[in-house]
Amino acid sequence: MPTKIHPALIGFTVLVFFFLVGPLVIVLGSALSDTTYLTFPPQGISLRWFQNIFEIDAFRRTILTSLQVAVISTFVALLIGIPASYAMSRYRIQLPGWLSTLFVLPVLVPELVLGFSLLKNLAFQFNAPIFLSLIIGHTILILPYVIRVISASLASFDFSIEEAAISLGSPPLKTFFTVLLPNVRSGVIAAFILAFITSVNDVSISIFLTGPGISTLPIQLLAHMEQFFDPTVASVSVLLMVLTVAVMAIVERTLGLTFLAK
Amino acid sequence: MTKPLSIRNITAHYGQTKVLEDLSLDIAEGELVSLLGASGCGKTTTLRLVAGFLQPTSGSITLGGKDLTKLPAHQRDIGLVFQNYALFPHLTVAENVGFGLKQRGISGDAKTKRVGAMLERVGLAHLAERLPGALSGGQKQRVALARALVIEPPLLMFDEPLSNLDAKLRVDMRVEIRQLQRANGTTSVYVTHDQEEAFSISDRVAIMHAGKIMQLDTPENLYQRPANAFVARFVGFENLVPMKVVARDGAKITAEAAGGVKLTLGLEHFGAIPDNFVLACRADGLAVTDNAAAEGIPATLGLRTYLGRAYQYQSETAAGMLVANGPLSKPLEPGSNAKLVPVPDQCTILAVE
Amino acid sequence: MKRFAGWTLASPATLLVLLGLVAPVAATIYTTFGTPGGPFAPYLAFFGSGFRRTVLLRTINVSLAVTAIALFVGFITAYVVSRAPGWLKSILIIAAVFPLLTGVVVRSFAWLIILGKNGILNSTLINLGLITEPFQMLYTQGSVIVAMVYLFVPLMVLTLVGVLEAIPDDLIQASASLGANSWATFTQVILPLAVPGLIVGAVLVFTGSFTSYATPQLLGGEQVMMMGTLMYQQAMVTFDWVSASTIAAIMVVITIAIVMAMNAAARRLNPMTV
Repeated sequence: MPTKIHPALIGFTVLVFFFLVGPLVIVLGSALSDTTYLTFPPQGISLRWFQNIFEIDAFRRTILTSLQVAVISTFVALLIGIPASYAMSRYRIQLPGWLSTLFVLPVLVPELVLGFSLLKNLAFQFNAPIFLSLIIGHTILILPYVIRVISASLASFDFSIEEAAISLGSPPLKTFFTVLLPNVRSGVIAAFILAFITSVNDVSISIFLTGPGISTLPIQLLAHMEQFFDPTVASVSVLLMVLTVAVMAIVERTLGLTFLAK
Repeated sequence: MTKPLSIRNITAHYGQTKVLEDLSLDIAEGELVSLLGASGCGKTTTLRLVAGFLQPTSGSITLGGKDLTKLPAHQRDIGLVFQNYALFPHLTVAENVGFGLKQRGISGDAKTKRVGAMLERVGLAHLAERLPGALSGGQKQRVALARALVIEPPLLMFDEPLSNLDAKLRVDMRVEIRQLQRANGTTSVYVTHDQEEAFSISDRVAIMHAGKIMQLDTPENLYQRPANAFVARFVGFENLVPMKVVARDGAKITAEAAGGVKLTLGLEHFGAIPDNFVLACRADGLAVTDNAAAEGIPATLGLRTYLGRAYQYQSETAAGMLVANGPLSKPLEPGSNAKLVPVPDQCTILAVE
Repeated sequence: MKRFAGWTLASPATLLVLLGLVAPVAATIYTTFGTPGGPFAPYLAFFGSGFRRTVLLRTINVSLAVTAIALFVGFITAYVVSRAPGWLKSILIIAAVFPLLTGVVVRSFAWLIILGKNGILNSTLINLGLITEPFQMLYTQGSVIVAMVYLFVPLMVLTLVGVLEAIPDDLIQASASLGANSWATFTQVILPLAVPGLIVGAVLVFTGSFTSYATPQLLGGEQVMMMGTLMYQQAMVTFDWVSASTIAAIMVVITIAIVMAMNAAARRLNPMTV
């Protein structure tokens, strides 16, 4: 039975949600405008600014880079994050307590500091390729999300199931893939999505690890905004929102959205 | 202080589902009445309606003549004891008990004194400064009780207060609850699904089913003279045999069941017997005997189980499958023929519904 | 082999964080102590500069303001969301998650359109006849605060909804049955129980604001420089890497100090721990 809530609080909440959703609606409207300057409400409806994205070489390249970086770093983060989460729940007693603190460090250390440090002490010092530095930065950035989400789903995993499988003659590695992974499937999907979106949206690390010849989409957006104030940025934003909606739809289909609130 | 509670023609819905239908219940001053039934029978709904957490679709609730129906929960002045204790985890034991006094503007010495006295009564004075997280289940339940009692409510309500305790503690606590309730003379409503608990603690018990009260009576009457088949089954009359009177002879009648089984029953034990009735017997109320001459229901014995005080037999009869007990001195083999002889003490007569 | 199974599985991630995060960040901080002017020269220079002190103070002020507003707005919203019926709750959570998953650039950009000289707010005010000349709203502290509140309210709401949902209905009903009206229940039961969540939310928002880059860059520009934008400027515009490293070190120290202090406070204030 829901508790009674004062109408003033409900009114306030309605305003808050207008505040949360309104600006995104405005971006959407501006992207559809048929004018060469940004305006809302849109004057004339046109999709030409969406077309424009793909006509600008810089956007085409950075969209590609962003997707490459997001896919690679997400896969790497899952590849090393899943065994780490597994080790921390299964072999907790073997591992020192500071290990879990170590895996939260990427959240504690400001992203800007990580980005700058990778530029200074990896890319510059050791002449590491920028793209590699970018991958390393993004992988570290999203690793805590992966570990947190996978650990949460492992917390409800009954490890005696695994022992049952082994006792029935299944080798340990095979058991990991046939028994454990299917049971934390939803966690893996959630981790993948969170990691992917975080990577695609990242500014603070990428801002230091881009330069002539290599850049990510958000950095290109920032650069574009400093020179032009046309609806292109709005339409790229809408494109990113569509990506977000698509991802949320996948989450909704597989897990239910309240999962993200946990 | 204490007041009678009157529930009049209450109907309640959860969304579209009707959960209570035209329910009326009067509880006298100082009386403890249990609402007993399986989950979904409407007992908790009734309690929540009285507490003010739910609104009835129609009907009224009055406490000592004052209409509560439209009053918000916090103005009803009812002491509530919850199933999960519902202690405030951020407040100490003393602060939990003092919470209701604080809301009534009682503070300082007066509050300290009353809280102290109440904790003394429930034997928790030494734990006053602990947080609820540090208490055992039984201690939590005592705090919850103290918190509800200290505001000296005219009505106390218990929502399955003992269901989270282990069996031994449950028995101790129910005695304690009854003693405190008696000492204060507070009108009380006690919701439970545990028959033994309800019968042992209550002045009267309302057995509920599908949003209705099936019977409201003293535990003794419910146990010995259930008013209908539902209550009979509920209190353990496992065998219900529909019968028809074929002959009346002074203090005795002869009745016939399905399959032509005939029994003679004495009126001195059962009172008036209508022409059509149901003979309800506990397993102990059908004595198994291999004496072929005995007057009883002819049966073929099935599975035998050992109860400690008797053997129990699943018995095939012309009136259907019946459960009957036989003496330990004479175990009978499955498949053998026997008679099931009604024991008047353990049987009762129900009118056909 | 079993004895090392844990380490074997955890080592790739451990090595990555040690070599990719701990080592480079430590090296960055280390360089600020090995400068020609003495071990603390870069810090003396930082705090000796009036401009930099202003930037630091402004960053703290903006972050505090954003945290306070986000706490207030987020708590009320989360309370209403947590007590909403199931279907409505799902919709509201989607509405809060969606902005969170939309990038910081997009969300800051939205406020450029709203607060710009020819933006929606100015043109609306002019159309209504309330003003004749457009207001300068961009590149002010206010615009940065508004955009950051927008950025962080969803995070606060989602953090607090979880905490508030964990408060059982029973407690609220117990409070009412003991005579507490909704205000008393709110202040004496719900608020104290939400304190740990409020602390977590406050830390997330404060550290997020304190180290942000894109929002102050877009909505504050040169006029409202904050620690993040100053650090970027030092590193990538003037190429003064010692100065940038110093700012980085200050950000790390402040962030970690706040997280640790709040962790301790949360443990002490958490009513559930004994």
